[in-house]
Amino acid sequence: MTSSPSPSRKALSKIACNRLQKELSEWQVNPPTGFKHKVTDNLQKWIIEVTGAPGTLYANETYNLQVEFPQHYPMESPQVIFVPPAPLHPHIYSNGHICLDILYDSWSPAMTVSSVCISILSMLSSSPEKQRPTDNDRYVKNCKNGRSPKETRWWFHDDKV
Amino acid sequence: MVNEESTSTSYWDNNNGGNNNDQGDFECNICFELAQDPIVTLCGHLFCWPCLYRWLHYHSHSQECPVCKALVQDDKLVPLYGRGKNQTDPRLKRYPGLQIPERPTGQRPETAGPPPQPEAASNLFNFGIGLMGGFMPMATTRIGNFSMGFGGLLPSLFNFQFHGFPDATLYGSAPGYPYGGYHNGFRGVPPHGQERPMAREGNQFDANLKNLLLIVGICVVLFLIL
Ligand SMILES: [Zn+2]
Ligand SMILES: [Zn+2]
Repeated sequence: MTSSPSPSRKALSKIACNRLQKELSEWQVNPPTGFKHKVTDNLQKWIIEVTGAPGTLYANETYNLQVEFPQHYPMESPQVIFVPPAPLHPHIYSNGHICLDILYDSWSPAMTVSSVCISILSMLSSSPEKQRPTDNDRYVKNCKNGRSPKETRWWFHDDKV
Repeated sequence: MVNEESTSTSYWDNNNGGNNNDQGDFECNICFELAQDPIVTLCGHLFCWPCLYRWLHYHSHSQECPVCKALVQDDKLVPLYGRGKNQTDPRLKRYPGLQIPERPTGQRPETAGPPPQPEAASNLFNFGIGLMGGFMPMATTRIGNFSMGFGGLLPSLFNFQFHGFPDATLYGSAPGYPYGGYHNGFRGVPPHGQERPMAREGNQFDANLKNLLLIVGICVVLFLIL
């Protein structure tokens, strides 16, 4: 299993640990529709399988989300990316980075993995066409060396999708 | 019998199965634990004070409620004081190493005051009892109590006889000091807002001295009648 956290990442604080355990057990009782948590022994990094909602462009397609939690979760947002291959979407870069405000500037500690997942699925579902962001190549080139999307200065210019 | 038993069984099942809902209403919206030093925003969302403070002052770029994004103002936060626990053990601090100030204290509106003035008849009754109970203390106290006490009695009984009464406030029309409070003092129990009635009484004492004599007379007559 690829369960060891990346070396740069600090271990979860006690509060983060307790909260994630609660989120996990709530998820097990009541998972969000269309999502499956792939069980590992690593609380700090979740792999979640997403299935596109019926009747949308992504129906029956499955993708994997990787959710990594910082030491001070939930004060700091989790890092959420699609494990490539990422869905073709105007707000999803080919390296899996997602342009979604709640993952960055609009994060709130009252949000949960579950609520983030629902937002991502709704973003997918409302897509009018399957295409990459217009600046995909430039952005992906700038993200070499495994830079986190949380270090990107996002500009949320389109609220429709 | 059977029904009752199955009901209680399912009650316990629910309790054990839905373990995360027992305290759900009292969980902090940030750490998801039972709120420590609980505090409620004006929009009604519950947090640990340390959790909310840390979010608003160390992490957030805005002063928004994490749940509903309503504006959060420090002076509008309401602490929740439950029973049996005064202070959090500092060793159990949620965020060791962070400077978290004291939780804001509750804002305390004035007490509601005693119940509304009873009817004249029961007023009279109180008056009589109070007078008897109040005779024992020192003379000055007695006079003070007396003049305060009859303020409650007078408007209802003797209004028509004292058209030119010198000080209208003697009637106890000042807000927040309904007549009932005077009866307290009358019985020798220290009134709640001791300073205020005493001070007022002092101001009016000279002005009322003449009337006082008159009223003592009336009261004696009243007593004889009773
Ligand atoms: Zn908390
Ligand atoms: Zn709120």
